[in-house]
Amino acid sequence: MMEDLRKDPDYTLFRPILESDRRFYWAVAFLGAVVLWALALYIRQLIYGLGVTGLNRTVTWGFYIINFVFFIGVSHAGTLISAILRLSQAEWRRPITRMAEVITAIVLAIGGLHPIIDLGRPDRVLNVFYYGRLQSPLLWDVTAISLYFTASTVYLYVPMIPDIALLRDRTTKFKKFYTWLSWGYVGTERQKHILERAMTILMVVVIPVAVSVHTVISYIFSMTLQSGWHSTIFGPYFVTGAIFSGTATLLVVMIFFRKFYHLENYLKEIHFRYLSVLLLVFALLWGYFTFSEYLTGIYGNEPMEMRVIRFKISGAYAPYFWMMVICNFVIPVIILSFKKLKRIPGILIASISVIIGMWLERLIIIVPSLSNPRLPVVSEPYVPSLTEWSLFAGGVAAFCLMFLLFSKLFPLISIWEIKEGRAEGLEAVHQRLESYLPDTPAVQEGV
Amino acid sequence: MTDSPTRPGGFIFFLQVLSISLIWVLVVSVITWILNLISLSHYLHDAQNATLAISLVVLPIFTLLASVLTYVFVGLRKHQE
Repeated sequence: MMEDLRKDPDYTLFRPILESDRRFYWAVAFLGAVVLWALALYIRQLIYGLGVTGLNRTVTWGFYIINFVFFIGVSHAGTLISAILRLSQAEWRRPITRMAEVITAIVLAIGGLHPIIDLGRPDRVLNVFYYGRLQSPLLWDVTAISLYFTASTVYLYVPMIPDIALLRDRTTKFKKFYTWLSWGYVGTERQKHILERAMTILMVVVIPVAVSVHTVISYIFSMTLQSGWHSTIFGPYFVTGAIFSGTATLLVVMIFFRKFYHLENYLKEIHFRYLSVLLLVFALLWGYFTFSEYLTGIYGNEPMEMRVIRFKISGAYAPYFWMMVICNFVIPVIILSFKKLKRIPGILIASISVIIGMWLERLIIIVPSLSNPRLPVVSEPYVPSLTEWSLFAGGVAAFCLMFLLFSKLFPLISIWEIKEGRAEGLEAVHQRLESYLPDTPAVQEGV
Repeated sequence: MTDSPTRPGGFIFFLQVLSISLIWVLVVSVITWILNLISLSHYLHDAQNATLAISLVVLPIFTLLASVLTYVFVGLRKHQE
């Protein structure tokens, strides 16, 4: 069976599941250690309470909510990019979609845990179900994120069934596990039709769900009368930022796993170039929304609003604000506008810069508004503690660890989609092109 | 029932049936919870419109997702030949 598999032209995609080198175990050990360290500090927080964090009387939302908004934002690229590319039948999507969908499912699970960490008393999350009221945007969040998590997990799983069946039939590892998850898929025409129909329904459902989720996340800020938060453009601003940071994360993950699992033959430079165009568009959109957001605030000149804006632009948070502008706008626009710089190393730098910049954006939105309350109270500066930094590192490590473990169970690139692309893609594209283009005079005349 | 990889019996079949059942348990729980929230908002005369609007979006999508999964699971088992 193994010899047969080794002859498969796509054996490279099976290899991460069948073989593990030392680097994999070292990475798992390191990431596992970081996660355990974060867990230990979380247990300490459970024992001593939120006093071990840097949260104080006015800044009651710190790192945990910043990370929550950031992680949920990152989750947006996955399903959204995958669904849009599939719906538009973009042929270059084939090696990308799976990774994008996995990012969404993992990051959503991690992001969704952060409000519970922020509660201090995790048992109180049950109050949402006992005493919840749908008038509260916080409950809208719980509903929207649960819905998005369910939708994106289903959207990850359904297109994976043919690959799971392939693993069931062609490998000897985890046979029962793959048999369970493949649901007797053998690739008959009727089964293919069922999966295709299900995927089409999911693609159409997932796009509005994804857009609405981050709009709902923005509502927990914009529905309040807090200075700096009460803004009508927060919905699209958050969605833009989410897709922006998600695309950057997808690019970083693709570059890393391309190198780690030698996927150069599947993730070619052209895939990075196409995705980097999307990153450039979103850098410009982000710049536009940020400019609009601050221009309307400054033009209105409302004293409390101006206090928050000054705090961000020229006050205590100015270094973070300008760093955010450099990371989210200046660096990606410069790198991605010039063909010479738009190579994989340049795209990696731009993507990492965007991830840092988008995290800073979440910080800039949350902390300065809470540090400048409307009430005449003295506000203490917010300094995150070791617990908060560790839990942040733990969240990032948990993401990397779960992604690595996923790659040991399932292919990171959709094998059946690659095979289908080779077998039918060229002809399908040719037929589509013929249907798009105007007919030649000879065809029009029926010659 | 045979126990072949493509048409498993015994424990794996039990796991598959359990998976579908759990999906529906989740959806029914969400529906019950949201219906409870609607009745609460009605009883308190509080934010009834918002409650109804959110419920109208959430309930059909959860039901649709579970239906799609059931369609896939049942369809794949049924059409193996």
